[in-house]
Amino acid sequence: MSRLESRGVRPGPIPACAGIGLRSIHHDALVNERPAVGWIEAHTENYFHEGGAAVRALERARAIYPLSLHGVGLSLGSADGVDREHLARVKHAITRFEPALVSEHACWGHSGGEFFNDLLPLPYTEEAVELLAHQVGVAQDALGTRLLIENVSAYVAFEHSHLHEWEFLAAVADLSGCGLLLDVNNVYVSSRNLGLDARAFIEGLPVGSVGEIHLAGHTRNGAVLIDDHGSHVCDEVWQLYRHAIARFGAVPTLIEWDTNIPALATLVAESQRADRMLGELRGLAA
Amino acid sequence: MASLRELQASFAAALRDESAACAVLPRENLSIYRNNAAISFRNSLALSFPVLRRRVGDDCFRQLAMRYRQHHPSRSGDLHWVGKGFAAFLAEDLQGSEYAWLADLARLEWSREQAAVATTRAAISVDALARFGPEQLEHLVFSLQPSLELHASDFPIFTIWAANQVENAPPVDQSLPGECGLVRARIDGVEVRPLSPGVFSYISALAAGAPLGEAVAIAGLDQSALVHALGFVFQEALICAVTLKVGHSAH
Repeated sequence: MSRLESRGVRPGPIPACAGIGLRSIHHDALVNERPAVGWIEAHTENYFHEGGAAVRALERARAIYPLSLHGVGLSLGSADGVDREHLARVKHAITRFEPALVSEHACWGHSGGEFFNDLLPLPYTEEAVELLAHQVGVAQDALGTRLLIENVSAYVAFEHSHLHEWEFLAAVADLSGCGLLLDVNNVYVSSRNLGLDARAFIEGLPVGSVGEIHLAGHTRNGAVLIDDHGSHVCDEVWQLYRHAIARFGAVPTLIEWDTNIPALATLVAESQRADRMLGELRGLAA
Repeated sequence: MASLRELQASFAAALRDESAACAVLPRENLSIYRNNAAISFRNSLALSFPVLRRRVGDDCFRQLAMRYRQHHPSRSGDLHWVGKGFAAFLAEDLQGSEYAWLADLARLEWSREQAAVATTRAAISVDALARFGPEQLEHLVFSLQPSLELHASDFPIFTIWAANQVENAPPVDQSLPGECGLVRARIDGVEVRPLSPGVFSYISALAAGAPLGEAVAIAGLDQSALVHALGFVFQEALICAVTLKVGHSAH
C-alpha cells in the first residue's frame, strides 16, 4: 500500500478528459468548491520544500483529484548533463505526492554552470536526439517512472537543425521509451514564429506516442507570438487540438494559465470546452 | 560541425552578451530569451525580498537585481534559490553607504522566505523539566525549532519590515536604535518578531548549544528575568527536546 493509499487517498490514473493547472491563487477555491475537473497538474519545482502553504495545499488537492507533476527545471537536453540534485528533488516529490503522470520538456536550460531558468530550444540533430534520449533514460531510471516529454515553443531555430522537430521528438521517444506531451499551443506559436507547418507537426508524430496534450493562450508582440499562458486558448489552437485528438485519440488534456490568472470558474469553463471536443470525438467513434 | 555543447555555449554567450555570435534564426528573437532570463530572475528575487523592493522602488530594485545576477547568476533549475546570496552581495556592494541597512533587511527577508517552506517539529511542554532536579536545571541543553533564525542589526530592521507589509508605506526613521529578533516557521505561517536584547542573547546562547545556566549568564539575566525567559521559550513552542549536558546524569 502506498503512502497516500494508507491515508485513504486513491492516487488514481489521469483520466482521458480535461484537467487544469494548479496555481496558488486557486488553492483554497479548488479544495472548497471542488469543481468538476478530471485532474490537476502542478509544477514540480513549486513543491520541492518540506513545509509551507504550497505543499499543504497540494496535499489537500491531491486527496480530491488525480495528479500530474510537470517539471520545468530538469534541463534534460543540456550537454553539461542532468543536475543530480534537482533529479533527487523530483524523485522526492514523486514519492511524496504519488503523481499518476510525470512530465518534462525537450529543451535545455544551463551551460557553463549558469542556469537560465527557461525552456531553451535544441538544435534538431542526431547528436541532440542521442543526448536527450540518453538523459531522459537516466531520469526515468532515477525516478522509477516513464516520462512524457513536451515540445517547447520557440522564437529561434538553430541553423544546424536538419531534422524536423516532430522527427526529433519521435526519435527521442523511440530511443528512450518515453511518451510525448503534445503542447498544441507551442506547436502553433513555433510554427507561426519560424514559418513551419503546424498540421505537418501533428501528423508527423507517431500515433500512440502522445500521452497528454497541453492547451494555453499566447500573446502577440509585433510579428512574434509569445507563449505567455495568459489568455484564452485561441480558435486556431482549438482547431489544431481537434485535429490532434482525431489523430491521437482522447488523451488527458490540460488547460495551462500561468499569467493574468483568471477566476477558477473561467479556467474550469475553458477545460469544459476541451471536454466537449473530447465528447464529440467519442460520439464520432461510437 | 559544432558540437551540441558548443552550440549551447554560444547560445548562452549570446544571452549574456548580445554581440556574441550565435547560429540561430531569426537572430533578433534571441532578445526574447535574454529578457525572459532577466525577468524570471528579477521576479523571483522580488518574491523573496518584497519589503526591500518596496523600500528602494522598482527601478532601483531592477538595477540591484541586474548587478547581482552579473556576479551571482542562477545556479539551479529551481528559481527559489536565486536569492540565497543576495544579502551577502548587498553587504559588499553597499558597504559604507547610507543603504548598508538593506543587507540586514535582506538577511531578515531570506530567513522569512526559508521559514515559509520549512517544517515545524513538535514542541515539548515545560512539564518535561519535571524529571530533572533543581540542581540540574543549569546544565540543561535545549534543541530549538530547526527553522529558528536569529537576527541582530544596527538598524531598526524589524520595524522597517513590519511597516512595509503594504505598498507605499511611509519611510521608517533610520535613526531609530538597532533591533534584534527571531524568524521561525509556525504551523500556519511565519513569525517575524523583535525581542528584547536580553531575551535575544539568551535564546542565541541556547541556540548555540549553551546549557541553561551559561545562557542565563551570557544574557546577564537576573532571577526574575530567568523565570520569564524560561517560560517564554516553552510558551512560544521553541523547544523540541531537552537533555542534560554530558557529565550531569539524569535525576
